[in-house]
Amino acid sequence: MFLLSICQWLDSTRLNAAMRMSTWFFPTFDVIHTLGIVLVAGTIMLVDLRLLGLALRSEPVASVVERIVPWTLRGFSLMFVTGALLFSSEAVKLYHSPAFRIKLVLLALAGLNALIFHRTIYRDVANWDQTAAVPIRARLTGLLSLAFWIAIIAAGRAIAYGSGYDLG
Amino acid sequence: MMASFLLPVFEWMESTPVGQAIQHSASLIALLESIHLIGLTLLLGSILMVDLTLLGFGIGRAPASRIASELRGWIAAGLAIMLVSGPLLLTSEATRCYKNPAFWTKMALLAIAVIFHFTVHRKVVSEEPPAPRYGAALTACLSLGLWTSVALAGKAIAILQSS
Repeated sequence: MFLLSICQWLDSTRLNAAMRMSTWFFPTFDVIHTLGIVLVAGTIMLVDLRLLGLALRSEPVASVVERIVPWTLRGFSLMFVTGALLFSSEAVKLYHSPAFRIKLVLLALAGLNALIFHRTIYRDVANWDQTAAVPIRARLTGLLSLAFWIAIIAAGRAIAYGSGYDLG
Repeated sequence: MMASFLLPVFEWMESTPVGQAIQHSASLIALLESIHLIGLTLLLGSILMVDLTLLGFGIGRAPASRIASELRGWIAAGLAIMLVSGPLLLTSEATRCYKNPAFWTKMALLAIAVIFHFTVHRKVVSEEPPAPRYGAALTACLSLGLWTSVALAGKAIAILQSS
């Protein structure tokens, strides 16, 4: 209930009223938010596919991660800022949306998956990068990450059916 | 809006059993939209890597030609996913799309982006030795600009459709 009161407070702020009054606010931030997600998921999927041995096989895993992950993080900040603003424009509604809750859980799981990878198996990437096969745990990270991001995109679409403007 | 001989085609699309089935199922539309967006993600992610390589921010010292040939299959896969899910989504609201300027803008941009990708972009990417830096950079910027515009126009379809 603590979270619900925060949502109620967000809905009562002046910023919220301004956002709801504006006709361009929602579409504009929705567009930027979508582009942010496409950037995050599009780049992280390439890393995942590399870990699974399905793309960029001639490039070492370490260089793929080093060069691509900064773009993932850039996309993430875009997605996070716009997402927070979109959320605060209809906080109580989203509090009650199952799709929104699922999306947040999936985002946390995707983050945790990436964090565990970086803190454990990726630490000795130098030892396994030149071998023919990527270790099974790293491949598992790739597979989980792909599944999480596909599900996050689907959950986002599901939210759109209950908020902002009706796409149906 | 467009050559009026196309209107009956759009009306027919919407009247087909497929169009009717999709039109009457919000969850089917959400599913198709998700698939469409995943295809876009795959396509844009892969193209971004090729274009970043052209701009000199590539993976290690790998030449653009190698990155492009390694990602060719995934670019094709992303495009294929979009070209299947897109027309299916269209059948569910064909006549509304017909009247939507964003839809025709997207189709025009898509045609330009696809032609550019398989002609100029492909040629510049595969050049040995690599194309002069400014030429490669210009190609990369055009490619990124075109594909982003296609995505933006796609989002605009939904926004105009609801207003």
